[in-house]
Amino acid sequence: MLAVALGAVSMQAQSQTPYPSMVALDQYLMPDRNAEIALARSAAPESISKDAKVLVLGPHGYETAVEGKNGFVCAVERGWMAPFDNPEFWNPKIRGPLCFNPPAARSMLPMTYKRTEMVLAGQSKTQIMEGIAAFAKKELPPLEPGAFTYMMSKEAYLTDRGDHNMAHLMFYTRVMDSAVWGADLPKSPVMLNPQFAREGIDVFMVLTGMWSDGTLAEVNN
Amino acid sequence: MNREKVKNFALGGFALAVVLCVAWQAQAQNPQASYTRMAPLDQYLMPDRNAEIALARSAAPDSISRDAEVLVLGQHGYETVVKGKNGFVCVVERSWMAPFDDPEFLNPDQRAPLCLNPPAVRTHLPLTFKTTELAMAGLSKTQMFDSIKAAYDKKELPLPEPGAMCYMMSKQQYFSRKVGNADPHLMFWFPQKDHLSWGAEFPGSPVDIHQYSPQPITEFDISVSKWSDGTPAPAQ
Repeated sequence: MLAVALGAVSMQAQSQTPYPSMVALDQYLMPDRNAEIALARSAAPESISKDAKVLVLGPHGYETAVEGKNGFVCAVERGWMAPFDNPEFWNPKIRGPLCFNPPAARSMLPMTYKRTEMVLAGQSKTQIMEGIAAFAKKELPPLEPGAFTYMMSKEAYLTDRGDHNMAHLMFYTRVMDSAVWGADLPKSPVMLNPQFAREGIDVFMVLTGMWSDGTLAEVNN
Repeated sequence: MNREKVKNFALGGFALAVVLCVAWQAQAQNPQASYTRMAPLDQYLMPDRNAEIALARSAAPDSISRDAEVLVLGQHGYETVVKGKNGFVCVVERSWMAPFDDPEFLNPDQRAPLCLNPPAVRTHLPLTFKTTELAMAGLSKTQMFDSIKAAYDKKELPLPEPGAMCYMMSKQQYFSRKVGNADPHLMFWFPQKDHLSWGAEFPGSPVDIHQYSPQPITEFDISVSKWSDGTPAPAQ
């Protein structure tokens, strides 16, 4: 997701990042609450997101802006949900809309809350890494089978690179060899995202070739 | 696989290059009719072994299928004809692997190539073998249903392992006269749980969720935009 197209990133690349640390909080916030709701919902087809719970990011964390009734939760994640060595971890332009299905809302969304809570508390990246490791070990609910998220927003901004975006789904599993899914092989629509590898969770991305509004998305192998 | 989904697709321009059997003609005249009994076995077999190997491999990109084990269907069940080295197994399933309430169940023309990843080899392939054995033994649909149910009840058949999935991206796959080769997709299997039952089909979603019976399995079908050879598939 937020690591889209970045893959493994070297420490050298990290040292060259234009985003070495967190910038002012308001740069990560969206002043227009309705715009954030719309962006969050755009992660999934309307048939799903129209009845989903919607979160928006405020100065003190995510808040429920719209109550849902189908068990899905839509939110816009920020750069700090990327792998810790991603040079765009603190990129304030990152907007990653996603809709969690019910198993993912129960077992993966707590990770989003926790990381965001620590970021907004002003913790360093090292502190966040340690805190997340402890959280994943002791407090994060067990990963449920069938947990996945939609990331099909045409308006997402996932990276400064390339087209900035890619329509995809993300499936969460316990860590397994990427070869088990045939990920990252030529012409395979499956890619491994190392986003939560440190926490023992693999994220397999499946390219959909379609945005949430039904229009075609270019898929480059 | 989930033939329920492909049933809903618009009529494609697939041209059949096969001789139509009597049962097939009856089906064409009445799309709601089911294949009530097994056709002669040779109608399910592919006479050209190499063609079946190529069809099985076409389920996944060459980067995966070239190193996969390949099975072909013979007179007495599936046989390994190519040894693999990456843990994947490619096979062409027949219509008895469709849901029992699928009108295409036992359609002798159906060819469903898929490449199973290692967890699916361990947990889906036994179902393929078992169902094929029952079909080739001439059991009725009811007998097959009961036998599969008993096998799961007695834990003789395994539940899907985490990460069990397969590629189904062959441009040459064929499901029915109505949907032809449908679309390229991936399939993911999970043990059936109540909390997965929210998966009604959502318009516009590339995810289709199917609850099997009597197999205690939930299947997610994810449409992708390209066939295994990298060419674009028609937008659905």
